[in-house]
Amino acid sequence: MKDYWKIDEDLVRHISLISKLNLTNEEMTGYSKDLNDVLESFRILEEVDITGVDAAFHPLSVENAFREDTASKEKDNAWDPLSATENKEGDYYKGPKII
Amino acid sequence: MKEHLERVKAQDFDNGEFIEKVMQSASNISNEYSAFITMAKDKPNGILPISVKDNICTKGIRTTAGSKILDTYVPPFDATAVSKAKASGGFVIGKTAMDEFGFGTFSTNCAYGAPKNPHNKERVCGGSSGGAACVAYAADFPHIAIAQSTGGSITAPAAFTGTVGLTPTYGLVSRWGLIDYANSMDRIGVIGKCSYDAALGLSIISGYDPLDSTSMNRGATDYVKSIGNDVKGMKIGVPKEYFDGVDKDITENVWKSIKLLESMGATYEEFSLKLTKYATPAYYIIALSEASTNLAKFCGIRYGIEKQISGNYDEYFSAIRELGFGTEAKRRIILGTYARMSGYRDAYYIRALKIRGKIISEFKAAFKRYDSIATPSMPILPPKFSEINSLTPAQTYSMDRLTTAPNLCGFPTISVPAGTINGLPSGIQLIADHLNENKLVALASACE
Amino acid sequence: MGVMIGLEVHCQLNTDSKLFCSDSQDHRGKRPNENTCPICLGFPGSKPKISKKAIEHGMTIALALNCNISRTMFFSRKTYFYPDMSKNYQITQYEVPLATEGLLSVGDLKIRIRRVHIEEDPARLVHVGGDITNSEYTLMDYNRSGVPLAEIVTEPDFTSPKQTRAFLEKLMNMLEHTGVYDPGKEATIRVDANVSIDGGERVEVKNITGFENVEKALNYEIIRQNSLKRSQMKIARETRHFDATTSTTKSLRKKEYEDDYGYIFDPDLPMVRIDDEWLAKIKRLMPELPDQRVARFVSQYGLTEYYAGVIVYTDKRFADFYEECCRSNGHPDIVAKWAVNYLLKSLNWRSEKISDSKVTPKGFVEFLALIENGKLNERFAKELIKEYVDTGVSPGELLYKTKLNISEEDLRDIIAKVLKENGRAIEDYRSGRKESLQFLIGLVLKETKKQSNPNEISKLLTEMMPR
Repeated sequence: MKDYWKIDEDLVRHISLISKLNLTNEEMTGYSKDLNDVLESFRILEEVDITGVDAAFHPLSVENAFREDTASKEKDNAWDPLSATENKEGDYYKGPKII
Repeated sequence: MKEHLERVKAQDFDNGEFIEKVMQSASNISNEYSAFITMAKDKPNGILPISVKDNICTKGIRTTAGSKILDTYVPPFDATAVSKAKASGGFVIGKTAMDEFGFGTFSTNCAYGAPKNPHNKERVCGGSSGGAACVAYAADFPHIAIAQSTGGSITAPAAFTGTVGLTPTYGLVSRWGLIDYANSMDRIGVIGKCSYDAALGLSIISGYDPLDSTSMNRGATDYVKSIGNDVKGMKIGVPKEYFDGVDKDITENVWKSIKLLESMGATYEEFSLKLTKYATPAYYIIALSEASTNLAKFCGIRYGIEKQISGNYDEYFSAIRELGFGTEAKRRIILGTYARMSGYRDAYYIRALKIRGKIISEFKAAFKRYDSIATPSMPILPPKFSEINSLTPAQTYSMDRLTTAPNLCGFPTISVPAGTINGLPSGIQLIADHLNENKLVALASACE
Repeated sequence: MGVMIGLEVHCQLNTDSKLFCSDSQDHRGKRPNENTCPICLGFPGSKPKISKKAIEHGMTIALALNCNISRTMFFSRKTYFYPDMSKNYQITQYEVPLATEGLLSVGDLKIRIRRVHIEEDPARLVHVGGDITNSEYTLMDYNRSGVPLAEIVTEPDFTSPKQTRAFLEKLMNMLEHTGVYDPGKEATIRVDANVSIDGGERVEVKNITGFENVEKALNYEIIRQNSLKRSQMKIARETRHFDATTSTTKSLRKKEYEDDYGYIFDPDLPMVRIDDEWLAKIKRLMPELPDQRVARFVSQYGLTEYYAGVIVYTDKRFADFYEECCRSNGHPDIVAKWAVNYLLKSLNWRSEKISDSKVTPKGFVEFLALIENGKLNERFAKELIKEYVDTGVSPGELLYKTKLNISEEDLRDIIAKVLKENGRAIEDYRSGRKESLQFLIGLVLKETKKQSNPNEISKLLTEMMPR
């Protein structure tokens, strides 16, 4: 059976890839050691009987907070979507290629 | 603060001179204790000096959330808490230091320098709202610090600096404009010198906001009215698990405060919160699952630090994130991503959400018997910077064990000074049922 | 044999604002990134808020597809990095979609609907210096970011590309009828198609616009997969991109690990609870669906199933056009006959939809009146309708113009010439074969290059016919 409370370097490498962290091999070794420690201290969660318990997404129930479908007619004149970046071209944001 | 407002009311007051003095003093605090990341540049206007934790957006004032990845970010809008404070005469003096994105217990995971404890500069302020608490203590002017908590980030620094930290019910203060750590727990609150300041601050910034879907739909409340309210007949629960492994002197001080409340007519009873030890792991799993998605957006396009575009998106985003995030942020992204990965999310994320449900029920049952639950704020006195380095991440995370449960469950808490030990402050944390901030303010003012 | 196809259909919903913010979703004539705000750009500190209308549109679709509607649901974050994603996660629905287990019949074909859910549209990308596989860099326009989408996922019930097209046309017609989709506002429907052949892995072709392209993409994929199979090569599970210019699919070489989306509940958003009252309201406001409309056309207008079906299933606005015409013309059967057999044919020939064409109900009713009043005979009417579709000039004016285009004197000359060359037809006519007159009219029309009016020709012909 899989031990959920252990993380190996391969898994840390996989996570580094999907979360775009560019970790070095040294960092991966360091993090997997730290995290194994942490996970070991989390293992006690297995003791808790959760049968029939609902997942609490929020501390209090938060329901049906909606917006009416009205489009803002006027834009704030000061609003410039491109003001926070140098990577732009014309009215477009500029970003990296896909492949 | 109270005297200041009375002088303002009586117009016995030169506003220009006042603002100048405040800004000069704030600048001194910044130099002395590294309490600010960014000072307000333009000459502010108002009667009420406020400092704002740097993960709360301020229009036109750089907001980094303590991270290099947002080094260049100037928000185009104010957080609702800030605009409400401004509407009440508040003016922003600066953005206070914090752990990167709130990721810390001591305010030592800081991209812009760690704030120093005003009681002893070799010691930490506590985190993650360390700068806020530091300014609240060190200010020689009336001031309210707008701070924020996810797992104890108001209580911890309030206890370490000897200030009052009020963390309101989840949803009472709008999160619009807050740079998210864990959206289902993040709460904006206040730190002040005394319970009056904290109560005033909360009265100003709380209230319904249509911009935040989790904002509670209720009107403004004046919490200042509860200052000095009789605590006679109030029942206080003292959970024994919250004293396990706590510094002996702190335990003693907390008991002194409880006895003080007893002398004023409150009663107390020891009891047990059996799920206590599960709160911290459950907290970290949920908080980091959410945090790792919140941090995905930082990738060097649209805003924040960037480079000349090169390579494919995988390469470019990775280069920016490698550069922009600190060690603890990366650690938490890894753990949070792990906890929600397919094949693991049921064992971690979903299980933790269910355990949260159980812990909420346990507290709710206790609040049927008690008006408030009293615990130490932190298990230790403010440590030295040099002592922090020897802690492993697992040890550091366990330092949050007294604050994670109320944060996980959205209960309001207030941390009030409970005496000093060798010149270092200790604190008592009072927890109440949702929306019972008035009881906390009454109890806190009684403790002072 | 053994082809299995499933579709994921993404339909932009007809709302005024975006799914989570109040920016206009109508980006016709807008500059790139003009319809944006901190929310749909994912600026730090911004928070989404759900548009109630988008949920209601989703409920309408679910009802139209005979689905079970979830009474409690929530939104999730699907995390993956991509330049078109302003937050690097998409707010979508995962564990509990808005609706499940529906069905849409297309003739004898029954397609099961696995789920319907609501999600946000990502931004539009421009691949500079090449296509998605070889560009130099990317430009991003977030006007589309946050536009509400309904994603309709079918079971893999299709066995041929042709079936998918019939299904998509019916689905689009239905969506248009319910009012949740308005192609007039340049709303789009984009399709991801999953296809596998016996013994092969499932291949996903992403982001195909246009139903014809769906069919083309699938045809190409089946040929590609079959040829791999014949050469005993492995058909890998992968995501491919459809290149409309070459009608081929290309591998996006996406790495396997990219599929780990790590879904969590979106803690910025509330639970959505649909109570009986809300559901009843949506049911009550449910517009007429295409199948119901066909039945009504049969009973109300006395049309045959065939005519009613063609009118309704062509597209909603053609059916609206038909009904509009029937309001000012008392012969729905005649309206249907001309609309289906001639108007629609001319539109199709030009690959035009009624809504993009110059044809108006007023003009078409005028055209029918000319026939009824004997000013147009059938043969010439068929010519005139083509011209009307081509030019948009009103039929009355076209007829008037036609008369003027050739003088009566010239027409008489042409008729005289035709009569002289066709003694046989005159004989036939005299001996009672009336259709010979039509033959002669046709010859005259041809001579005049159709610049004449058959009624007038007929009049002159009878007059000038040698006795």
